[in-house]
Formats: sequence, structure tokens, C-alpha cells
Amino acid sequence: MKSIISKFLALFMLVAFTVASANEHATLEEKPSTHKEESYHTKPFSEMITGFLASTGIVALVNPDPDELNAKGETMSDFHKGLGRVIMIFITFFLFWLAIARGFEPLLLLPIAFGGFLANIPVANIAGEHGFLGVIYHMGLSNEMFPILIFMGVGAMTDFGPLLSNPKTALLGGAAQFGIFGTLVGAVALSQMGVVDFTLQQASAISIIGGADGPTSIFIATKLAPELLGAIAVASYSYMAMVPIIQPPIMKALTTQAERKIKMTTLRHVSRLEKLVFPIVVLSLAILVLPESTPLIGAFMFGNFLKESGVVERLNDTLQNALINIVTIFLGLGVGSKLAADQFLVPDTMFIMALGIIAFSVGTAAGVLMAKFMNLFPGNKINPLIGSAGVSAVPMAARVSNKIGMESDRTNMLLMHAMGPNVAGVIGSAVAAGVLISLFQ
Amino acid sequence: MHKGNLMETNLVIEGFKFMGLGMGTVFVFLGIMIVAMNIMSTIIHKFFPEPQPKASTSAPSSNAKKQDNNKKIVAAITAAIKHHREG
Repeated sequence: MKSIISKFLALFMLVAFTVASANEHATLEEKPSTHKEESYHTKPFSEMITGFLASTGIVALVNPDPDELNAKGETMSDFHKGLGRVIMIFITFFLFWLAIARGFEPLLLLPIAFGGFLANIPVANIAGEHGFLGVIYHMGLSNEMFPILIFMGVGAMTDFGPLLSNPKTALLGGAAQFGIFGTLVGAVALSQMGVVDFTLQQASAISIIGGADGPTSIFIATKLAPELLGAIAVASYSYMAMVPIIQPPIMKALTTQAERKIKMTTLRHVSRLEKLVFPIVVLSLAILVLPESTPLIGAFMFGNFLKESGVVERLNDTLQNALINIVTIFLGLGVGSKLAADQFLVPDTMFIMALGIIAFSVGTAAGVLMAKFMNLFPGNKINPLIGSAGVSAVPMAARVSNKIGMESDRTNMLLMHAMGPNVAGVIGSAVAAGVLISLFQ
Repeated sequence: MHKGNLMETNLVIEGFKFMGLGMGTVFVFLGIMIVAMNIMSTIIHKFFPEPQPKASTSAPSSNAKKQDNNKKIVAAITAAIKHHREG
């Protein structure tokens, strides 16, 4: 009997409690709903539909909001708000095609293109200061953080062995930087002729495309000419991806069949200690000669030092994989935010693309010619084909040298020989970048 | 107009100056780097001759030598026994 009563009591309490808590919920819910009612005026359904239709993307594209501002808070023309955005979205589709169907640097081109796609959405203002692309841009691009992090990863992936076993090939990596400075003169000359209006800073930022080094280009562009970042990054990465198309004709035109068949002496073995000391030596030189280049070279050598030390496999692994992948996503999206129509669809972009490919070709040619020049001196002969690898674009340019070499002589393996100038090219373009920065200090 | 023209002319000269300084620095840097690399390699080969491979190979190699010796001894003994039995 007692147990039944206690059970009833328990049941009653449970029911009472649920009802009470439900009531509490109800009262809580009522409060905001009364608030809402205060601010929400009832509208006829037709008005709601027209109001909604006015906020669609179609209307925003066809009939742009006159008060709409761009990511920097400036007014922009109707073309850049409407048709320009549609054109840009189709350009990003073209970049998707290049990346997916043609395999052009998909790791960076896809995030950049998708970032560009997002940046051209009307109304949402994703690339604006409070949009997520804008936040990413300010997080790591406007302060040059992401290119530096990428450089650490690239350093961890680089093997200086081929360069150490044949040091003089570093000169080829230097000659290829002629693409940068030759184009700089070209860009300034164009400005003088009144064709375009590039300042010296802008011309420098454009010409660094000739270094064929994505992170360095972005680093310099954000420092010297952030308004051109989108075009410079897209030009830089798409030309790097087009190395197998751009370089071979130049290489073949400048070399004879006999030169292409030159066999190089086998590389000597490089001890682990040499590889370990090398990053420190180069960084020390950079400190003494050109401190402005140490952010890039320092990060690069940090990654390489971790790798060669052999005792921090976990950190090395993170730099080579996890970190560089994460940063690549952010870097790509951040650069993509600069593909907004009002910044990309300007006449300057066309000139940047044109100057970029000239810079690239001149760099390739200078590397090949330098190798031929070095062959005039006594000593071990150099196959001029590895000269083109002096533009950075690691390891694609070296692979191209190898491929062209094999076309002339199937037994001639140039890949490891070409890696020497290739990694020297990275150092060379970092030095060139340091010079440009120091000149504008 | 005249002044603007003058400034623009200066700009191209400026470009050439950049080129001279830039290429100069790049080559000087890489040149010093090549010299430094050669010096470094010479020093390392002279004073630290392949410490890692030697350290790692010397231990197994001495072991291997011992094993080789043992094998030779075993072979000699078996040959001697064979010879003795046959003889």
C-alpha cells in the first residue's frame, strides 16, 4: 500500500515538474516573440514577394545598387557591379577548367579561382572587410604571413644536395633573375611611352613574376603594390603551370643538337653535415649582404634546417604536409579575394599578363645563355638545357630540362643536374626580392 | 609637360639602375655562396670526413669483417678436417 502511494507521489511530482518546466519555456519563448512583433510590421504577401525579389542576385547584377561599395569601401562603376562580375565568374570557370582538365597547378589555382568566384558575388560582400575572404586576406596576406609560411614548407621539401655537389650551377639560377630586372625596365619603358601608368613600385611587383616563384611574387606584390596582387598572383601561378609549354621552344631555339646532347659528370656524394651546415651558411651570407631578403631566405632555410637536422621528423612532416596544405588553402582564397571585378577587370591586368610572360621567357633565355657562356671556360661542360631551370618553379622547370634532354639523347638524365640551378633560382629570386624591397625603403 | 617628361625619362634610367644593382647583388650573392660552399665542403671533407656514414658503416663493417674472419676460420677448419679424414 505504502509503495503504491509513494509511486503515485513520484509520478505526480514528475508530471508537475514537466508541466512547470514547459510553462517556463513557454513564458521564455513568449518574450522574444513579443519583441519581434514590435519591429515586424505585417505586409501584404505581394509586397513581401517584391521585396524578396529585389534582394536577389539577379536584380543586383542587372540593376546594381548605386550605394554599393567595393571591398576597400570605395565606389565602383556599374560595369564592375554588374556585367563585370558575370565576366569574372566566367573567368574563374575558365581557371577551374585549366586546373582540373589541364592540371595547371591545381593546388593553388583551384583555391584562387574559387576565391575569385566568391569575391564576385553581389550583395554578400564576402571579400569585404567583414566577409570571410576579407578576414583571411587581413589575417595573413596583407601582413605577408602566408607566403612566409609557404616558404618554410618549400624549404622543408627542398634538397640542396645537387647544388652542393656542383656549386657553380648556382650561377644559372642567378642569370635567370635577369627576367625580373629586364621586365622591370620594360614595364617602366611602357609607362614612359604613355601606354600604361605603372609606378616604379608597381613595375617591380609585376616584374618579379619573372622569378617564377609564387610565394615571392605574392610577398613582393603585397608589399609594393597590393592593388595588383590578384593579377600578379594569377599570372605568376598560371605561368608557372605553363612552364612545360612556355620553356621548350625557347630552350630549343637557343641550343644546338650537339649542346643538348652534352652529358654531365655524375654528381658526387654530399655528406649529411654539408647539407646541415649549408642553410646556416646561406642565411649568414644573407644577414651580411642583404638583411632585407632574410624574411624569405630565413623561413626557407628554417624549413630546410629542420629537415636536414633529422631529429625533428614530426615538425618536418608538419611543415611539408599539414602546414603547407592549410596555408595553401588560405593563401589561395585570400588571393582569390583580389579577383573582384573592380580590381581585376582593369586594363592594367592585360599588361601584367603580357609583361609576366615576357619576364618568364627572358628569364628562361638568360639561364640557357648563361650556361652556354659558362661552357666557354675550361672545366666540366654544362648542358645548356639545365640553364632554363634557373627560373625557380621547383621542380617543374627541372623536369622540363630533363624531358628536352631525353628527347635528344634517351640516356641523358638531366633531372638531378637541373635541380641545382632550380633551387639556386629560389635563393636568387629571394635575393632579387630583397634588393627590390631595400630600394623602396 | 616638360617637367613630367623629364621625370619619366628618369624613370627608365631608374629602371636600368635597378637592373644593374639587382643583377649585381644576385650574382655577387650567389658568387659568394659558391665560394662559401666550396670552402665549407673542403673543411668538412678535411676535418669531418663523412662522420655520419663512417660512424654508421664502421660499426657494421668491423662486425662484418669479424664474421668474414669467422667464416674463413670455419672454412679452413672444415677443409683441414676433411683433408685429415680423407688422408
